Amino acid sequence: MTTRTVPSGRVAPDWLVQSEVGLCPCGCIGKRKKGSFLAKTLDGASHLLRQAMSSEDVAGQPGLLQRLDARVKLVTLVGLLVVAAFVRTIPVLIGVYALTIVLAWASRLSIAFFVKRVWLFVPIFTGIVVLPATLNLITPGTIVVPLGTWFGHQLGVTSEGLHGAAIIVMRVAVSISLVVLLTLTTPWNRLLAGLRALFVPKMFVLVLGMAYRYLFYLLGSVSDMYTARKSRTVRTDTEVASGRRFVAASAGALFGKAHAMSEEVYLAMVSRGYNGDTRTLRPARLSGLDGLWVAACLGLGLLVIGCDRAFG
Amino acid sequence: MPSDEPAREAAIDGAAPPPPRAADAVLECRDLHHRYLGRFPALAGVDLTVARGERVALLGANGCGKSTLLKVLDGLLFADRGSYQAFGQAVTEDHLEDEQFSRGFRSRIGFIFQNSDAQVFSPTVRDELAFGPLNMGLAQESVEARVADTLAMLEIEELADRAPYQLSGGQKKRVAIASVLVMNPEVLLFDEPTAALDPRTQQWLMELIVELGRAGKTIVLATHDLDSLHLLADRCQVFGEDHTILAEGRPGDVLGDRELLLAANLVHDHPHLHASEVPHHRHVHDAGHHHAPPG
Amino acid sequence: MHIPDGYLSPQTCAVMYGATVPFWVVAGRRVRKVVKNRYVPLLALGAAYCFLVMMFNVPIPDGTTAHAVGGVLVAVLLGPWAAVIAVSTALLIQAFFFGDGGVLAYGANCVNMAIVMPFVGYAVYRALARGTSLTSARRPLAAGFGAYVGINAAALCAAVEFGLQPDLFYKTSASGAKVPLYAPFHLSQTVPTMLLAHLLVAGVVDLVLTAGVVAYLQRANLPVLRINHDAVPETDADLPAPRKIGLRGALIGMVGTLLLVPLGLLASGTAFGEDGPRDLDLEKYGLRAVPAGLSKYSDWWSHSLLPGYDFKDGDHPSVGYYASALVGTILIAAVVIGSFKLAHALRRRDDAPDAPDALDEDRGAAVEQPAAAR
Repeated sequence: MTTRTVPSGRVAPDWLVQSEVGLCPCGCIGKRKKGSFLAKTLDGASHLLRQAMSSEDVAGQPGLLQRLDARVKLVTLVGLLVVAAFVRTIPVLIGVYALTIVLAWASRLSIAFFVKRVWLFVPIFTGIVVLPATLNLITPGTIVVPLGTWFGHQLGVTSEGLHGAAIIVMRVAVSISLVVLLTLTTPWNRLLAGLRALFVPKMFVLVLGMAYRYLFYLLGSVSDMYTARKSRTVRTDTEVASGRRFVAASAGALFGKAHAMSEEVYLAMVSRGYNGDTRTLRPARLSGLDGLWVAACLGLGLLVIGCDRAFG
Repeated sequence: MPSDEPAREAAIDGAAPPPPRAADAVLECRDLHHRYLGRFPALAGVDLTVARGERVALLGANGCGKSTLLKVLDGLLFADRGSYQAFGQAVTEDHLEDEQFSRGFRSRIGFIFQNSDAQVFSPTVRDELAFGPLNMGLAQESVEARVADTLAMLEIEELADRAPYQLSGGQKKRVAIASVLVMNPEVLLFDEPTAALDPRTQQWLMELIVELGRAGKTIVLATHDLDSLHLLADRCQVFGEDHTILAEGRPGDVLGDRELLLAANLVHDHPHLHASEVPHHRHVHDAGHHHAPPG
Repeated sequence: MHIPDGYLSPQTCAVMYGATVPFWVVAGRRVRKVVKNRYVPLLALGAAYCFLVMMFNVPIPDGTTAHAVGGVLVAVLLGPWAAVIAVSTALLIQAFFFGDGGVLAYGANCVNMAIVMPFVGYAVYRALARGTSLTSARRPLAAGFGAYVGINAAALCAAVEFGLQPDLFYKTSASGAKVPLYAPFHLSQTVPTMLLAHLLVAGVVDLVLTAGVVAYLQRANLPVLRINHDAVPETDADLPAPRKIGLRGALIGMVGTLLLVPLGLLASGTAFGEDGPRDLDLEKYGLRAVPAGLSKYSDWWSHSLLPGYDFKDGDHPSVGYYASALVGTILIAAVVIGSFKLAHALRRRDDAPDAPDALDEDRGAAVEQPAAAR
């Protein structure tokens, strides 16, 4: 290896001082390679996480739900969920779903965003998962969409199967809508304080708050690590195998890094007098609107159950 | 405030500060030894005395023990050997178990960490500031009043209901400092305060430290940034890479002693090309790029 | 493995909540005692880690989703009660912000992933890693395997929970068929699919992650492992010397086993593949006669001392068993000891003829000198 002395007196190997052609001479630039599953999931997850958890903009609007106390919202939400869980007929479920849309509108949420936010994830997942249940193999009954025969047995989609699948999907949609309404209209710290007021143990609330904080840090670190690796990866064909090794190795390193930070956080807390108790600022007061809301929910619940009985 | 700087410099360089008297000493460390994880040396026999109202800078390259000493001063770390006294009382792990001692101690010393991410962990900025006073046991109204005052003082009122993780580096630093100042401590410890800050925030921070010093706070800061030393500190302690204190003195004296700075790895020498020859000049890089005479 | 709302009836959800609440209460109290305050951030970190790990999931037909959980890692580092809190926290964030796992079904999800998984996984880990040092190579593997077993136990519970729904909660349609009100899949479908997905994929992922992190901590940050493993010696060198069983112990063990020998008489029938011509059940195997070779060679050797572990007349089977055991043991011992002695004698002859006999203690001093001279 020939070397050249540069003014510092230190030597640099030849290959470092010469320029290398980074572009492939055969002119294959521009051919796209498929992105890896990991990269896509990380990017998507990071984006989704930020979107899902920063409810600042919506929570600040002067809509109906934003004005309610967090504790009241939590309790009535769970109540409505229980009511929806007892509903047996599809028309009533659809009615309840329509109600959530009305609530979203009353809370200044964009309807398109609300619908997308609810349906884009779990109900579609659930739909895929329960699709086999529409077949007569799983739910026997009257076949409405025959699909031929299989080893001498009739195969088809049964009305009972469709019915059952529809009930599940609607229920999932309703429950997620209610949860989304709660989380979009309540700032995170209020939610935590609400939980604390509902007798959730201190340890849980403390851990919940800190875990929420760490998620962003961890996700950022994971993206950074992945990006750093990507910037050093020249070949992509061996990505799958080495990708797995990378994941295994980086899981440990990530944990170590995050742990070092968690120690710092703890020291910062101790430095300001933390001794295990959590006290939060300003426990909120209940207002007349909260009372009205509770009464309305009770009435609504009874109405829904009544309609359900009438229909089915 | 550029017009004030020459006046400030003159005031500082004028009289040599007297060495701290025992009666004045608010923090006193004797012969501290500490190893991380039982293996990695961090402090190898360090003494430090800080008088009330004094501003002390701890200088040294990364890894020489400055952060460790600061953590010992804040009672977050307990040295393997040696003693530490604050406000006239010994600070040990057992003593800090006592709630009253702990409360008194923690409210009188504040620590601003190098990594602001670790220091701002509450859901909103307002909660972050309220964390300390609430732990001290203050009543709701006085906590709210203090938080409002501190927000105004540090000009971060518009950030009050934002989540800290969304803020920029400079904003996070302000929130971190606010969360400590709201407890009104007598002693302030800064770990690399100006690291990773943009120039405007750096300027703001330096002015703040000067102002706090003038208000009578005792300040200890760890830094390896030599540029603004003469503004920030009355006295410097230089750490060597062997985890002991190499020297002590006024900023002007320490900065002028190039051998000392080189030994402590605070400056580097690199060759400088004149035309085609290869002579060696030593450089001290501060605000500008000054050529020292060859030698 | 998250169960959404709508899969479980409210009654099932209530029962599940009833099961989790006591665990939460106990965990809240115990963690404060066992995990000192300074490790609470680590616990929160564990929750965030579990959350991230659970984010990568794939839907499974006839089931819900498959993904790694990470709860056993937290159990290994901070104890199973801390894992209850960490995983419950992660599940809560997922339920509220992602609709991943229902709010009513939160209790059931916690039972599966925050209670069953950490405790089962931790028990397996402790059993496998017992007696090894903190830096031993067995620990990461034990942790990984604990995670594997734990996640499959959790998947099984989840499968049972929603596999039972169609049989318990349904309405009858106009045509008389049963319409499931909640999860529509029966046990026979949910159990195989959930278990398969977790045995083959999700469990393996969790195994790799858990083992990876534990191995990393062994190298880079042993004090973190130390938190939950106070009394474990650090390296293999510090392990206490294993207790020698000794000749007396071996004899006691053998005599004990000997006494238990007649238990074999309780088993009826014969072992598979050991049927003699008389015992062969021709109908079962679709045969009409005993195969020629079988009948010809089965009685080829007829000089057994104790045929069938019994005396020839077969009158006293238990005595015959004891006799067989005793005779057999003596014969084996004789053969083994004899072979060793023979091998030893042969080896001595192969070495230099005047080589000192290492077993000979009388010539102790004489043994040293030739060795030193060599």
